[in-house]
Amino acid sequence: MLKNLTHVHRPSTIEEACALLAAQDRKNVALAGGTFLAESADLTIQGLVDLSRLELGYIRDTGTGYAIGAMTPVQDVFKSPVLQGPSGKLLKAATGRIGSTLLRHAITVGGNLVCVFPWSDLPPALLALDAEVQIRKGIPKRTVPVQTLLERNPRDFLDRAELVTEIIVPAFGPGTGTSFTKFAKTANDYGLATVAVRLTLRQGLIREARLAISGATKRPVRRPAAEAWLEGLAPTPALFAEAGVRAAQDLDLTQDFRASKEYRSEILPVLVRRGLEEALRQVTA
Amino acid sequence: MKLTLTINGKLRSIEIAPNVMLLDVLRAAGYKGVKKGCGEGSCGACAVLIDGRPRNSCLTFAAQCEGSEVLTVEGLGTPENPHPLQDAFVRHGATQCGYCNPGSLIAAKSLLDHTPAPTWEDVKEALDGNLCRCTGYVKRIEAVLDAASLGKK
Ligand SMILES: Cc1cc2nc3c(=O)[nH]c(=O)nc-3n(C[C@H](O)[C@H](O)[C@H](O)COP(=O)(O)OP(=O)(O)OC[C@H]3O[C@@H](n4cnc5c(N)ncnc54)[C@H](O)[C@@H]3O)c2cc1C
Ligand code: FES
Ligand code: FES
Repeated sequence: MLKNLTHVHRPSTIEEACALLAAQDRKNVALAGGTFLAESADLTIQGLVDLSRLELGYIRDTGTGYAIGAMTPVQDVFKSPVLQGPSGKLLKAATGRIGSTLLRHAITVGGNLVCVFPWSDLPPALLALDAEVQIRKGIPKRTVPVQTLLERNPRDFLDRAELVTEIIVPAFGPGTGTSFTKFAKTANDYGLATVAVRLTLRQGLIREARLAISGATKRPVRRPAAEAWLEGLAPTPALFAEAGVRAAQDLDLTQDFRASKEYRSEILPVLVRRGLEEALRQVTA
Repeated sequence: MKLTLTINGKLRSIEIAPNVMLLDVLRAAGYKGVKKGCGEGSCGACAVLIDGRPRNSCLTFAAQCEGSEVLTVEGLGTPENPHPLQDAFVRHGATQCGYCNPGSLIAAKSLLDHTPAPTWEDVKEALDGNLCRCTGYVKRIEAVLDAASLGKK
């Protein structure tokens, strides 16, 4: 419970919301779906700035990809008729594995990204898709790769008066396939190892590969060395098995009651291999 | 602070603290059909419709519902005049202790509002956030499919 909460603000513009977050006399924080904040015991929080009236709930086809408003519930991504192709498939597969239907109606795209946990499901999909985020501080805005945002804790990366307002996901043309493999103890438990994959082929060779891992490290990460190693080669079962081994190397794996480090290091290569195989099957003509 | 919202079609104005959850506000206001199972988003006993979306009221700040329309199980039907879903739950034995029913009925109602002719898989997915410790998970799926097939919502 937020014991010291005294105010709930309901701004109707981004400028107003950012001004409230910048306030020095009181610590205000952004309120999205509330699924994290509802359980928070942060005694420093005195005010909430409800983002629900900023008209940030939308999914748009931009011609070169998709723009998703930060306040869009992840259930809407999961069921979206707008999201299509390899990017749409990956976004739907990832959001469909978040919590339960009830939770997915509350959890927002922006909240799932900014409030990242080791096991968060949407961030690895966004990493595999080279997605970017739009960040606003009143009128000024900046656009940064999701990867940059995730290099640190996003809440430290963002200035206190900044809001994530939109996620920009490129579409990929013919020759691309994606996959999402979440390994969890039950259908709606947190992933203990999760792999998001994108493969783009040209003339039978891998032109671009993306491997992103969640659930096994402190924050979701890409595996650039394994990705680079795959590029320019022909996809074969042996190649994918080797890529799995490489993707699991040099990782600072986590250890918790769900799984030991050793367990995670055993299953990761297998999940990466399977993810690559599935992405290859999904490659569009 | 003052919270103004519509609960089961009635406009209500309630004095609340900024940090309370919708679940506690609803129960204090007499809507005892809304149950607290876990209080942390895992069981679904507290599910209500908020502006048409099924959500865990235990993880929703009451203050998030200013101006919203909330539907609890009390707004679904009455013992004399049950909702077709409630009727089907009884006929199929999808209720024993009944603790999970207010939540699962709300989740099922949301499904039928958007998908009047669901498949078995659709029902399973729609109820994936509603635990039941008594009846198991088959009877309630049969009940929802039966209610849907009667063509009523
Ligand atoms: C029982 C349970 C199970 C779950 N299971 C999963 C799961 O399997 N996979 C998964 O990925 N997630 C899961 N989650 C969700 C995850 O734990 C977070 O609760 C959720 O992602 C937070 O999103 P929200 O929109 O509710 O954010 P809020 O609780 O509203 O906010 C979270 C934080 O992010 C900040 N914030 C939110 N939006 C913005 C924005 N646009 N700009 C700047 N800052 C912002 C807030 O200030 C706050 O600090 C689960 C949650 C629960 C309760
Ligand atoms: S009481 Fe809300 S999900 Fe259990
Ligand atoms: S009937 Fe007892 S928990 Fe479902």
